[in-house]
Amino acid sequence: MEEKKENRTEALIKVIEAGPLKITGNFIIKDLKKGEETSPGEIWLCRCGKSANKPYCDGSHNKK
Amino acid sequence: MERDKSLSYERKYTNGEITVYWKQDACVHASYCYRELIEVFDPGRRPWVDMKGAPTERIIETVNLCPTEALTWKWNDDEKNNSIQPDQTNHIKFRRPELMNQDPANMKENPVSVKVMVDGPIVVKGSFTLDNNGKKKEIIESLISICRCGASNHQPFCDGQHRKIGFTG
Repeated sequence: MEEKKENRTEALIKVIEAGPLKITGNFIIKDLKKGEETSPGEIWLCRCGKSANKPYCDGSHNKK
Repeated sequence: MERDKSLSYERKYTNGEITVYWKQDACVHASYCYRELIEVFDPGRRPWVDMKGAPTERIIETVNLCPTEALTWKWNDDEKNNSIQPDQTNHIKFRRPELMNQDPANMKENPVSVKVMVDGPIVVKGSFTLDNNGKKKEIIESLISICRCGASNHQPFCDGQHRKIGFTG
C-alpha cells in the first residue's frame, strides 16, 4: 500500500527553515507576472520577500 | 542542459488504462486531434489534454490519426504493449520505440502546477509531498498557498498579509 502512495506524488515541495522553498520533481512553474511557463526539474523560490531576483531566491534572507 | 530543454517539451497524460505522450516540438498542427475529439484535446485549455473527456477507445482512435510522433500512446499494462498490432499506428512501439520498456516507476504523468501569483503567494496544486522543516506530508490532488512576502503569521502558508504590507514581486 505504501508503494502505491509513493507513486501518487510527482514532486517534492521542501520548506527550508529561514530559507527558500525548494521544489524538485515533475512540475510546471508559471510566473503570472512574466507570463512564463517552464518545467525546470529543480527550483528555489524566495520566501522572505527580500530577493532582488524574485520569484527566485538570491540568498538575501541571510543578510541583516 | 540540452537534455533538460527537450524534457520540458514532453508531457504525459493518463486515465489509468493508457498513457498519451505529447511531444510538442514534433507537432505540425495537422489538427486531427482537436477536430476529432475536442473533449480530450483542447488547445485552448490548460492542461490541454483531459483524459477524462472520452472513453479509452476514442482516445486511441484519435491519437492514431496524428500524422507525426507528437501524439503517441501506450497501454499502462505492459503485457498488452508487447502484443500490439501495426494497425495501432501511433502506439509508441511504432512511433517512439525509445519509450518502450521504460520503468513504470519513473513514469511522470501529471505534473504538479506551481503558480507564482502577482504580488502574492506560490500556489502549488496536484499530488506532491510537502516537507515542512522535516515534517513530511503527502498532499493528493489538492492545493496549498506558500507565503512569498515573509509577513504571514501562519508560516509557511499564506494568510493574506501580502496585501496589508503592500508586497510587490
